[in-house]
Amino acid sequence: MAMVGLQRAGKRYGDVVALHEVDLSVEEGEFVTLLGPSGSGKTTMLNLIAGMIAPTTGQIFIAGKDATNTPPNKRGLGMVFQNYALMPHMTIFENVAFPLRVRKTPEEEIKKKVAHVLNLVHLPQVANRKPRELSGGQQQRVALARCIVYNPTIILMDEPLGALDKKLREQMQLELKRIHTELKITMLYVTHDQEEALTMSDRIVLLNDGRIEQMGPPEEMYFKPRSVFAADFLGSSNIWDATIESDGGATIKSGDKVKIKSEAFAKPGAKAKIMVRPENINVIRQGDDESRFENRVSGKAIDTLILGGVIKHYVQLANDTVIISQELTRSGRRSLTPGQDVRLAWRPDDTLPLPATGKMEG
Amino acid sequence: MGGGEKPVGAAMNPWGIFSTTVAWFILLFLMLPSFVVVPMSFGGKFEMMFPPTTFDTILYERFFSTGNWIATTITSFKVAIGATVLALLLGVPAAYGIVRGTYPGKKIVALFLLSPILVPVIVLALGMYLYLASFKATGTDFGLIIAHGVLTTPFVIVTCMAGLRHIDPNLETAATIMGASVMQTFFKVTLPLLKSAMFAGGLFAFLMSFDEVVVAFFITEASTMTLPVKMYSSIKWEISPILAAISSLLTFLSLVVCLIGAAAQKKS
Ligand SMILES: Nc1ncnc2c1ncn2[C@@H]1O[C@H](COP(=O)(O)OP(=O)(O)OP(=O)(O)O)[C@@H](O)[C@H]1O
Ligand SMILES: [Mg+2]
Repeated sequence: MAMVGLQRAGKRYGDVVALHEVDLSVEEGEFVTLLGPSGSGKTTMLNLIAGMIAPTTGQIFIAGKDATNTPPNKRGLGMVFQNYALMPHMTIFENVAFPLRVRKTPEEEIKKKVAHVLNLVHLPQVANRKPRELSGGQQQRVALARCIVYNPTIILMDEPLGALDKKLREQMQLELKRIHTELKITMLYVTHDQEEALTMSDRIVLLNDGRIEQMGPPEEMYFKPRSVFAADFLGSSNIWDATIESDGGATIKSGDKVKIKSEAFAKPGAKAKIMVRPENINVIRQGDDESRFENRVSGKAIDTLILGGVIKHYVQLANDTVIISQELTRSGRRSLTPGQDVRLAWRPDDTLPLPATGKMEG
Repeated sequence: MGGGEKPVGAAMNPWGIFSTTVAWFILLFLMLPSFVVVPMSFGGKFEMMFPPTTFDTILYERFFSTGNWIATTITSFKVAIGATVLALLLGVPAAYGIVRGTYPGKKIVALFLLSPILVPVIVLALGMYLYLASFKATGTDFGLIIAHGVLTTPFVIVTCMAGLRHIDPNLETAATIMGASVMQTFFKVTLPLLKSAMFAGGLFAFLMSFDEVVVAFFITEASTMTLPVKMYSSIKWEISPILAAISSLLTFLSLVVCLIGAAAQKKS
C-alpha cells in the first residue's frame, strides 16, 4: 500500500513556483530519497506531506486516505530535522517520551518503549542527560529514536546528516540503513548529496526547479539518466555535444566517430549530447588489447589526479574537448605525463545519447 | 625588540584608562544619592543629616510599627503583584502572536501593543483616570492594577519577544508533527523555554509598578495610596526622616530583585 501519495500537488508563493504539480507515491517499507540542488523544492515537498504548508493545487494521501486538509498533528508522521530539534529543557528520556505523552500512553508502557528505542539506536546510557550534553551524532540518533518510538506511518527527514562531518555522516548513513532494514519503516529522505542518495535509497526522486526530473532505483538513475541534468547531477560524467549519424553512430565534438546505445529519440542528423561515465573509459597501456572496446580515441594527457582510492586522468582531444577517465588506484600503475600521447577506449553500451535539451520521454 | 613582551590587550592605552575612569565617575555620581540616603536612615530621629551624628535604627522601628505605612506597603505589594500577573497574562500571548504569527497588519498590531511606552506617562495617567472614573474604579486597588498593567505589559512583551526569537521554531514544528496540539505545544514546549524571559519581564513589571508615582497619584486616594505616593505626599507637609529608612528599604528591594533576576538568568 502507498503510505504517502501526492496527486498533482503543487505549491506557489505569489509568482514563485516552489513546486510544480507533481505525482509521487511511496510504498510501505520503502526508502525514498528526494535529491536535487538548492531551491529545487525538496523541503517544500516534505512540508506539504507533513502539513506544515498547504498545497496550492492537488491532493495529499497518507495511508490511503485523503489528508490534504488534515492538520499536521493528526497526520501520524514523524520528522527528523537537520538541527535535531530536541527539546533543550527535557532529558533524553523525556524527549523520546514526548510523542507518547501527548498520546496519553500509560507510564509503564512509556518506560518500556523508550528504553527499547534507546537500545535500538545504541544509546541506552544517556536517558538522564540533557540534549546539549550529547554530540551531534548522538543527538541525531535520539531524534530518530523519538520518531521510531510512536511508530509513525512514515518518517520524513530533511537533510538529517547535513550538520555532521564526513566520517560521522557515513557512519550514520549505515546506521539509518540498518534501522530501516531492521524495522521496515517507510522513510522519505531529503538530501542534496548525490553519493548519500545513491548509497541509501531504494528509489531516488530527482528534483529540478520544482519538477520531478526522473525517479527510479539508484542503478537506473546512475546508468540510465534520461537527461543531461540527471547525468550531470548523479556522479561525474563526460558529456559532449554530438550529431547522430545515419548508421546509428555519432560524431562527437572532437570529430571522433563513436558507436552509441540506440535510443528512439536519436534520429540521424539530430543534435544530441553523448554521455560516458569516467569509470567506463579505459586508458590503453602497452600490451593492452584494445580490440574489445569498439570506441577508441587518441589525445594528449593534461593531468592526472590521485583521489585516494581512485585516480583520474584528464585527456585533451581535438577541438577543445576534454575527456576524463577514472581508474582504481593500484600501486605500480603509472600516472600519465602531461603532453604524452594517450589512447582511450570504451564500449558502445556505455555510450549514452541524451537529448540536447529537456529529457527523454518514457 | 626587547625581552618583556606583553600579550595583546594586557596594557590599556591612555585613552582607554581615561574613558573607563570617566564612566566610573558618572556611575558614582548617579548612584551617590542612593548611597547617601542609607547612612542617613540610621541617623537620629529628628533631623536628616549627612553624615549622621549617631547610629540608631529608630527610623526603621518607626516604619514597621506605624500601621499607616505598613498598610500602604501592603497595598503597594498587592498592586505590584496584581499588575505583574496581568502584564504576564497579556504580554506573553501578545509576544507569541507578534513573533510567531503570520497575518497581515502584524507590524501595526505590534506597534499598538507597545504604544504605552511611547505615550508620555502623564498623558497615560490622565487617560486612565478619566477612563477608570467612568467605571467608578478610581481609588480602588483594582483600578490601579489595571492602570499599572497597561503601563508594564509592553515591557513584558518586549522581553518575551526577545526570548521567543531565541527559541528555534523547529522545536514547535517538531512537537506538532509528533502529535501535540497547539495548546500542548505552547504549554509543554514554548512556555518552559520562555521561563527565564518571563521571569525577567515579570520582575521588571513588578519593580516598575512598585515605585511608579505619576499614574498611582492620579488614580489612588487616601485609603488606597501606594508607598511612593504616600512618600511624595508626606514630603509636601514635612520632610520626615522616616523617608530615608523607606528609601533605603526600596533600594534594598530593587537590589534583591535584580540579584534574583541575574541569578535566574545565569542558571538558564
Ligand atoms: N515561504 C516562501 N516564500 C517564497 N518562496 C519560497 C518560500 N519557501 C520556499 N520558497 C521558494 O521555493 C523554492 C523551493 O524551496 P525549497 O525550500 O523547497 O528548496 P530546497 O530544495 O529544500 O532547497 P535547499 O536544498 O536549499 O534546502 C525556492 O525557490 C524558494 O525560494
Ligand atoms: Mg531544504
